[in-house]
Amino acid sequence: MSHSSPSRSRQGSEGDETGVDPGRIKVGVGELAVATNGETLTTSGLGSCVAVGLVDRDAEVHGLLHAMLPSEDDARSATARPAKYVDAGIETLIERLRRSGASAGRLEARIAGGAEMLDLTDAVGPRNVERAEASLAAADVPIVASDVGDGVGRTVQLRADGGLVVRAADGFERTL
Amino acid sequence: MRVDVRALGACNRLSEQGAKQAADALSELTGTDLAVEVTGASVASGEDLAEAFAGRESIGVSVGLRGGLEGEAVLAFDAANVDALLSLLPGGQSMGHSAVSEVGNIALGGFLDGWANYLGTAIDMTPPRYFEADGAAVLPDGALAGDGVFLFESRLDATTTDLDFSIYMLPDSGQFRDLIVGKAAPAAAPGAEAAGGSDDVSGPAVPYESLSTFASLAKRGSANAADNIAMMTGLETTVDVSRLRFVPLADVPAEVGVEPHAGTVFELQGKPSGYLAILFEESSAATIAEAMLPMEPDEPLGDMAENALCELGNVMTSGFIDGWANVLGTSIAHSPPEFVHDIGSSTISPLVAKLSQRQDYGFVIDAAIRTEGVEARCDVYALPDERELAAALAQLSEP
Repeated sequence: MSHSSPSRSRQGSEGDETGVDPGRIKVGVGELAVATNGETLTTSGLGSCVAVGLVDRDAEVHGLLHAMLPSEDDARSATARPAKYVDAGIETLIERLRRSGASAGRLEARIAGGAEMLDLTDAVGPRNVERAEASLAAADVPIVASDVGDGVGRTVQLRADGGLVVRAADGFERTL
Repeated sequence: MRVDVRALGACNRLSEQGAKQAADALSELTGTDLAVEVTGASVASGEDLAEAFAGRESIGVSVGLRGGLEGEAVLAFDAANVDALLSLLPGGQSMGHSAVSEVGNIALGGFLDGWANYLGTAIDMTPPRYFEADGAAVLPDGALAGDGVFLFESRLDATTTDLDFSIYMLPDSGQFRDLIVGKAAPAAAPGAEAAGGSDDVSGPAVPYESLSTFASLAKRGSANAADNIAMMTGLETTVDVSRLRFVPLADVPAEVGVEPHAGTVFELQGKPSGYLAILFEESSAATIAEAMLPMEPDEPLGDMAENALCELGNVMTSGFIDGWANVLGTSIAHSPPEFVHDIGSSTISPLVAKLSQRQDYGFVIDAAIRTEGVEARCDVYALPDERELAAALAQLSEP
């Protein structure tokens, strides 16, 4: 589906300085993507949204979800777009990773985002995080690191080795 | 005649798919990665469009549309990016106009394929015509004539090079009206995504004529906002609103971008309810705050500036919503301002999340504030409850 087909950079083009840049895949809001060729998956402007990075290092497959809302059950909008929701998005991402050769038993998760950016929007950030934790626990995927909550926006990159690089608006960067 | 707002949404989604096809076609041709950044439909008057495009220089190609959809489509590059574009093309600089025409032809062909699929009919393109244009002359013929034209706009962005370009399509309005009225959103043809969704709850329908009323809402609100600022600060102030655009909610964060922004967010209560965010890039926020303060603040965006921006947000928001309430004949109230200062798209993501529970589209008002020779650009993101807005607009046309 088009919503889950984020823009994909190709392999390093001719004349590329390093010649080995495996490229990047940009994941938009309410999208998810899976990479099998060492690409870095990036998503920007996480506020209350939550990013879930999953990796199976043995199979060299990783995937990233940028979900807006906790649960598909809350949806009153009619669009079929699982990556918009934490629960349906995680389920879909795990399935896509499995189809790309990952073993569900080897997956590990890193999560970021879920900030409380505004008092006006009744804690959608923390609810996103809670739902991510619950959905991952239900799927037996351990969360090995997280950077969630607070009132800060974040931009993340999921590297092929599973490392999740989280950068805040003030430029502070850490790798989970 | 009534227009289903979700049918408009379907058209918007189609523009997005068309733009993606255009991006893919161009990526193949140039070996550069292109992504569709934003797709929006706007309802704007010719006068507003002329203002919005003032000062821009563009080159590109236009094609006429015949068959299933009539009108004109234009692909435009910022004139400053032409060299970057030519250097990517086979044949490069030496090809000049013909290379641009070729790119335009391929990209517009991709764009229109998406629409033709949806309509289940062929759309023929006339041969591409190369142009160089100042200001709004870049827009398809007829865009500046009427009041309340639909303009579909997609912006594509090269991830590695400076190569943004836009596609504007202006469908012939009579035929297009029939199309958005006659083609219910869920009845998408094979190949087109279930653009309008799958539930069969009847969508919010508004009279076509009310859509241009809606376009005038932004204008009306801005005049009030400017008066309020002038009253508060004693400074001569204008707020220019160029356009009101209809964009998918999921694209709103990308529209704001990842640069740090500061501003204020409000919750609206009444008909319609929803949210309103007024966001400035950091430097603009600091400039306008300083202009409003009696002395230079200690920090550019510290507590003093925050207070100033909250006050500014308060009076602007009152101005906007009073204008809307007047036009719509409803009453709308707003919450106290909540100050935000963070990655632009992060600040708006909770609002988008909240509204996406029940709708897929929002409105962006492009605005600029000028006060005593200081100009600060800002964007006003008006995110009303779609159903409540449609209901209020529909009531307008009732006898």
